[in-house]
Amino acid sequence: MSESKLFRTQEIGSLARPLWQLQGQRHTPLSPAARKEFLGWNQQLGFAPVEDATVGHFLSNGGTDVSGAQVRDWGAAFALRFLESAGLDRVYDGEARRVEMYEHAVRQMQGFELLGHVRSFDSKYYLKGAITGEVGLGHPYDLEEFDFVRSHARATPKLPVTGPYTIADWSFNEYYLGRIPGWKGRTQRREAQREFVVDVARKAIRPTLAAMIDHGCRVIQIDEPAAGTHPDQAALVAEGFNVATEGLDAEFSMHICFSDYRSLFPALLEAKRCRQWAWEFANRDTEDHDAYAMLSLLREYGDTREVGLGVLDVHRDAIESPEVVQNRIERAAQVLGDPSRIWVNPDCGLRTRRLEVAYEKLTNMVEGARRARQAQTGAG
Amino acid sequence: MQVDSSLTGPFPRSEALVRATRDLDRGRTSAEEVGRLYRSTATELARLEQTHHLAPATGGYLRWADLFRPFAEGWSGFEVGPVTRWYETNTFYRQPILHAPPDRSAGALGGWFPAAEAGIEAATAKAILPGPYTFATMIDNRSGETTEALIHRIGRLLAAEVAELRTTGYLNFQFQEPSLVVHPPAPTAGESTIAAYRAIAETLGTAPSYVWSFFGDAAPVLPLLRRLPAQGVGVDLAETEVRDLAGHPAGRGLGLGVLDPRTTLLENPADIARQVHAACEAAGVDRVQIGPGGPLDLLPWESAVRKLPLLNGAQTALRNGGGRS
Repeated sequence: MSESKLFRTQEIGSLARPLWQLQGQRHTPLSPAARKEFLGWNQQLGFAPVEDATVGHFLSNGGTDVSGAQVRDWGAAFALRFLESAGLDRVYDGEARRVEMYEHAVRQMQGFELLGHVRSFDSKYYLKGAITGEVGLGHPYDLEEFDFVRSHARATPKLPVTGPYTIADWSFNEYYLGRIPGWKGRTQRREAQREFVVDVARKAIRPTLAAMIDHGCRVIQIDEPAAGTHPDQAALVAEGFNVATEGLDAEFSMHICFSDYRSLFPALLEAKRCRQWAWEFANRDTEDHDAYAMLSLLREYGDTREVGLGVLDVHRDAIESPEVVQNRIERAAQVLGDPSRIWVNPDCGLRTRRLEVAYEKLTNMVEGARRARQAQTGAG
Repeated sequence: MQVDSSLTGPFPRSEALVRATRDLDRGRTSAEEVGRLYRSTATELARLEQTHHLAPATGGYLRWADLFRPFAEGWSGFEVGPVTRWYETNTFYRQPILHAPPDRSAGALGGWFPAAEAGIEAATAKAILPGPYTFATMIDNRSGETTEALIHRIGRLLAAEVAELRTTGYLNFQFQEPSLVVHPPAPTAGESTIAAYRAIAETLGTAPSYVWSFFGDAAPVLPLLRRLPAQGVGVDLAETEVRDLAGHPAGRGLGLGVLDPRTTLLENPADIARQVHAACEAAGVDRVQIGPGGPLDLLPWESAVRKLPLLNGAQTALRNGGGRS
């Protein structure tokens, strides 16, 4: 796939797990619906060889007869083919092996204790932990996951890594805050948070990124969805990014979503090794509100980095048409004044959407990008 | 010094309730089963509130998806809108979109208040509602009405809700106003806020009422907070310096947020007692209400439960002469 064409497309994060994967990982027999789902997607995507005896065992006996590792491999291969079949230029495995972006990361690190669920919104929750000792890392994580993707992907792999600021912000700070005696006001909280972020970046994430790069990883997305939570800490987001990537050579991007980006500027611009801002817009793009107009911010600050443009709302089932996608890309290109800086992606991971919905959204996104490209250059 | 304690916002859902509501979303359980769990969890929390002398009780407001949802669904003029960040937290609310001046109808909200479900007498429970300034400024107002007019209108509608709640036995009211300290109002909006609370106060009569601020430093808006016609105002001591509480009006109640919902680290009751004592000295008051500085639903259930005894612990420390530095 050409990396020089306009409006290249990429995924951003996780996909919903297919039913057959969930049942397989639970070591239960496949329900008729799960079996039908496996066969239907496999016919379309060809992620598992049906002539293979293991596949036959799985279809007959589900997870009772096949290892969890094998089921996860199929889950990863399924997501790769799913994204490639939709036409994306940069892909990953839908985070098929990860429980969730925060929990997965802190389970690899030392010093954390998972405490219980906190509501994100409605009936969506995440398992939240506390740092109860100094941050540490036994060994770099996700290397096997990346090796599998690299050896199976036909499009360019883009590795998602949860960023240090988000890991710290989404954790309760007991260890670093607890070292400060007496009442904990704003000043004490801030001091403790900086220590926490820098320790996560230096002691856990940087060694992992270095190992990934040694394994051939070239494109890395550092996810910092928490960056917009405390706008006055944007400098700390940038510091964490810089510490995590210090001395490393790869194509780094930073994904932030559901935030007022304006409030992060100019401090965020200090993330020196960040080549692309991958942001959410579609969720707030309505008939009477042009969400892409805020890209003028980058022009105001003379920032010429790439933009990963969110054009799919990941919280609603309504399918964006190719025309809507094309229109969003063209509005963004006009504001930026340079279409070559635009990558096209969903606002965030599509995990909250059913696979059929996600697939239709993605194929429309690719088609919308193609039409925008054709309108710009005459080439599809 | 007299120190009362009470919860000041929604409580987290228990792990069982987390599982059940997730399962309901996925079609793996029934609404009846989840309803049963809501009732048992609210009852359990009411028992904990009683055990730890937290009064008035709240019942946890476990069913509320966010501070505005019952209103966005129960009042006219609204559409439940996109997922939007809830202040500086990693939690979100669906921002109501207001398409026309809002209105209410009798009985639309009564079922949302949890006292009956929690087995609490309404007279000993606290009705927690959004404050008119926070409500008007946290929604996407496409109604054509100015912010100032909307604040006032919402105040009148909340006054009608208060009147209805009083007929069902509620006597204690708290209005959540994080936006007053996070995004302080311009002078005209500040005056509208006072007018809105005046409308509410007319309905409240002598019923106890607090305006509770959190997520921000109250110091810059204390002059406005003190002008609001409520019996007391609450401030978050994780954000507000006690020295800034000087000049508190005589006879006006003072609420102190002394449990930090941003961390599971347990506060030391002796540290709380020192802060409360210092705050009372600075404000020149000898009676305060203490509680969490913000909604405890930022914590997991177990962590929030572990914080509950600390309020009583601080009260005991104060009674025993603790808190004096």
